[in-house]
Amino acid sequence: MIENKIYFKFDGKTFEGNEGDTIAAALLRNNVKLVGRSFKYHRPRGIYTCGIEEPNALVQIINEHNEPNVRATVKKIYEGMVVKSQNRWPSLKRDLGSINNLLSPIFSAGFYYKTFMGPKSFWKNVYEPLIRRTAGLGKPPKEFKSKSIHLQHNVDIVIVGGGLTGLLAAKKLAGTKYDVLLIERENSFGGILKSSKKIKLINDQDPNDWIEKTERLIHNSSNIKVLRNTLVNTYNFKDHLIALEDKSVGKPQDNKKPELVLHKIRTKQTILANGHIERFISFRNNDLPGVMLAASFEKYIYRYGVVPDESPVIFTNNSSTFSLIKSLIDLGHKPKAYVDIRDPKKIEKEVVELLAKNNIPFYAKSEIEGCDGKNEIKSVTIRFKKNETAKIKTSMLCVSGGFNPDIHLFTQSKGLLKWDENLITFKPDKIFQNTITLGSVSGNFSYQNIMKEINEKLSFLEGINDLDIKLDIEGPVNFHIKELWETKNAKKSLWSKSFIDLQNDVTTKDLKQAVTEGFNRIEHLKRFTTNSMGTDQGKISSINALGIVSKILKKNISDVGTTTYRPPYAPLNFSAIAGRSTYEFYDPVRKTPIHPWHIKHNAVFEDVGQWKRPWYYKKYTNETMHEAVQRESKQVREAAGILDGSTLGKIEIKGKDALAFINLIYTNSFTKMKPMTARYALMLGEDGMVKDDGIVCKINDQHFITTTTTGGAANVLAHMEEYAQTEWPDMNVYVNSITEQFATFNISGPKAKTIMERVFSNIDFNNKKFPFMTFNNFDYLNSKVRILRASFTGEQGYEIYISPKNALTLWERIFYYSRGINLVPYGTETMHLLRAEKGYIIVGQETDGTVTPIDLNLDWMIGKNKKDFIGKRSLIRSDIISSERKQLVGLIPLDKSYGIEEGQHIIEEKNLDTPIKKPIKMLGHVTSSYFSPTLNHCVAMALIKGGNRKIGSQLYVSTSDLNVIPVEVVKPNFIDPKNERLVS
Amino acid sequence: MTRTFLAKGMEIIQQDKQQILLRGKGDGIFADIINKEVSLLPPTDNLRMINNDEFLFAKQSFDQWALIFLKPKPEKEIFRLLSAFNSNEEILASNYSNTTYFEISGENKNHFLSKLTHFDLRSKKFPVSTMAQTLIARIDCCLYNFGDRYLLSCHSSFEDYFKDRLQDAIDL
Repeated sequence: MIENKIYFKFDGKTFEGNEGDTIAAALLRNNVKLVGRSFKYHRPRGIYTCGIEEPNALVQIINEHNEPNVRATVKKIYEGMVVKSQNRWPSLKRDLGSINNLLSPIFSAGFYYKTFMGPKSFWKNVYEPLIRRTAGLGKPPKEFKSKSIHLQHNVDIVIVGGGLTGLLAAKKLAGTKYDVLLIERENSFGGILKSSKKIKLINDQDPNDWIEKTERLIHNSSNIKVLRNTLVNTYNFKDHLIALEDKSVGKPQDNKKPELVLHKIRTKQTILANGHIERFISFRNNDLPGVMLAASFEKYIYRYGVVPDESPVIFTNNSSTFSLIKSLIDLGHKPKAYVDIRDPKKIEKEVVELLAKNNIPFYAKSEIEGCDGKNEIKSVTIRFKKNETAKIKTSMLCVSGGFNPDIHLFTQSKGLLKWDENLITFKPDKIFQNTITLGSVSGNFSYQNIMKEINEKLSFLEGINDLDIKLDIEGPVNFHIKELWETKNAKKSLWSKSFIDLQNDVTTKDLKQAVTEGFNRIEHLKRFTTNSMGTDQGKISSINALGIVSKILKKNISDVGTTTYRPPYAPLNFSAIAGRSTYEFYDPVRKTPIHPWHIKHNAVFEDVGQWKRPWYYKKYTNETMHEAVQRESKQVREAAGILDGSTLGKIEIKGKDALAFINLIYTNSFTKMKPMTARYALMLGEDGMVKDDGIVCKINDQHFITTTTTGGAANVLAHMEEYAQTEWPDMNVYVNSITEQFATFNISGPKAKTIMERVFSNIDFNNKKFPFMTFNNFDYLNSKVRILRASFTGEQGYEIYISPKNALTLWERIFYYSRGINLVPYGTETMHLLRAEKGYIIVGQETDGTVTPIDLNLDWMIGKNKKDFIGKRSLIRSDIISSERKQLVGLIPLDKSYGIEEGQHIIEEKNLDTPIKKPIKMLGHVTSSYFSPTLNHCVAMALIKGGNRKIGSQLYVSTSDLNVIPVEVVKPNFIDPKNERLVS
Repeated sequence: MTRTFLAKGMEIIQQDKQQILLRGKGDGIFADIINKEVSLLPPTDNLRMINNDEFLFAKQSFDQWALIFLKPKPEKEIFRLLSAFNSNEEILASNYSNTTYFEISGENKNHFLSKLTHFDLRSKKFPVSTMAQTLIARIDCCLYNFGDRYLLSCHSSFEDYFKDRLQDAIDL
């Protein structure tokens, strides 16, 4: 078979690989073993595994927005890929940071906590930058625009893992009534069948043929959907899985297509068939490049056609390496030595015979003491009797310390584990969700029993038949493991280390030190040493750490317990999590029917909730916001202005008990209110604090329409609905949001009436016919229009409610009929200024959830004779009626040339120390402040303790540069206190 | 602006429709008032919908119904119906004609929508002649299942955003 050649760069040098190679496979193909530097000590590191569990071989992909910490054992190469090693300077071979290794005897567990205590000023400016520069992994990626998407699935059964077990489970479910999703992390199915020669034949067929046939069966089954290159990362409650699909495997990213798909899956049943992970053994310098897990070595042979080394030394405590030895021999190579910790009598005869037949040096009851070399292994030391050692030259050491069921997802689901003395590992015990574990993840390492297990565990499903399978297994059926976590270190040098966590540079000595220092609980020890806290979550080492700690504590491992495996199973890109909720889709956007007109007239928009509201309109390109707002507000006071108020919440309330309902919801009394009149109303929470405000229009006692603040619309509707349904279920009342059903325009100013008369020529706007706070419905543009005489500026004003379909036409007509009147469109900022000049409050600006109507001097809005309303009881509490509460007042600077900043403190002190040395009594804060073009000075509102008593007095407002401005406390009404303009 | 969105195995057509949102007890009087005007009895099961050539009538919650006009009516007729429904003091009828509608059809419609909503669209969970109120592209939407097609409605203020999301989901 001719492989397609691919050229890529690693650290500036071009390498040749085969199509389908991972970076690691391609580098091993080129005999490159040194691929990175370690996190803390900058020790040389190589390729340890052949999959997602890799702790060492993390690289940076330069041509993918500088993506850091990519596992070289997972990422496939493609033409033109540029890869760089991490955490080294100036080069991988000669890294200045490796000085940390020389200093490593002092960098033991807890070094940071104990060393960088003081001085305090060093924390941020010295220690943090220094530690960040010398330790760490890759550099953060440059900014880029994500194209990741989210895809939702609802299925009956999810099968996690498309290895032998997953395929058998899928085969059993093919053609049934169940919607099944089969998820495989690799781009091909088969798992162990494609990674080794452990199984020779399945039903007398070559495993590859069997996989192909099974795949075809699955493909033809309409009830099974398949996801490849997809890693299940999270198992949430309730049977909610999150899986990440890489769409750009083995090809450059296409910015027009999603490179990552985050699958969000809801299922009734989860079948975990995600296999097992081989674990290592700790010994001196077990981190040197050239040390690799045995099963990974074999996987490189069968998955990628790469033999990482022709004569490695094999070190094990079980019989699983039989197939590796056999594979090497079949390829014409052979191991340099076989080192087994077990007694020869306990080693299966197939292994012993294979070694003898091929003259492979066999060290039984022996162990690797350590290995030596500078940037990669040059030799290993075998301890074969108590104190006798032999040194063998080799460039590769294959290690197998046993297997752990891949329990991460199972424990994420809150399933409980139990210790298995025969397998020497934790395996699933009690499920918490609808989880089924099959195959090696359930601790069933015997291939012969797989079909029996699947048939038994899936027997509760309806309409499925038992399957039978015949497996021809090569080598020992069982793997008879002997416990071994660490070999004895001969302590040849201070710089020789026996690692337990390769990614976080945690040594077995650190574990011992942590226990000595009192961290004898596994969760404490984990945090003190950072063991298993890397991005690999200690996949190949966490159980080993428990084994070592149990020996130190002289406890059983099951008593030591496990640490918590947290989602995600492997790191996720932030872009995948964000999906399309970024940039233009960061938040849904709402627009009013007048939006196109606003754009055409240079509106600058403000986000209010999800609405885009005109903030101000630029008359010319260089006009500043201040200039625009001053211009707009002056024009409203002198002529007229129009505001697009379509975003205001609008609620229709109807029912036999609508009057009683509205009397309870708002503080005002509506009983004596005449039909077709309106009233400014306040809504309180049960705590008596102002929740919202608006105008209530009474059509009749059974029918009302209210307005709410833009931001509060949804909450007010929910509040009304909740009370109607849960507190007063006997009331006959219904509420509908009609916010979207009407566009609303506010026209105000001395010329407002003239404009209205011109636009609606058939309506009499005479004050007697159409007085302040009344409304009526009229026919207009073959539709209906409702006009309310009300104002939020203090000027003569009208609110027009019209169907959104006719809104833009009316808006443009208003301008047409305003020729010669100087009508100005104004935005929210001008609206804020105008209402502040008049002393009108804005909920959320003058209120903050701690302000009552009394504090706002709005006690006139409380229906004193009303039997009840929400918040009434709270308004008679002693602290609510206290005269020392903060009350709303107005402020005017004594020197009219000064401006007052919103949010600043109100104080009695004339001067402030710089820096402030003693506590200063804060009387209150500025809630609103604007420069009034009408008054030609700043006007502000503030909440001040006992404010009403302070009217007429002089106080001081702090400034952001620690000065103070003397101000006069006045009533919060700066323009037209007699409301002459309002009702004119 | 009305638009048609096309993708492999799927078509989305924006439509203009009128709607009245009804609140009430759903008792015999309620049914009689409605039936008198539109010759349809309101569905009694939650999330059920019935339709004829002219109307789609869906029960959105225990006391809420959507009456959607599948064929356009003069606005005066809508106001007449609103007036007739509202003549009973125990019924609230609101004009909901300012709503945006999309008709989604084609064999890939479920796959397409799975990019935008977590809602379970499988026929065993979302049978024909039922409706759902759920989040689609992170906004509140109603989805009516006609079997061969869905009718999707959302607030008109979201129209531009929603159309951009539809196009984006097609492109990706």
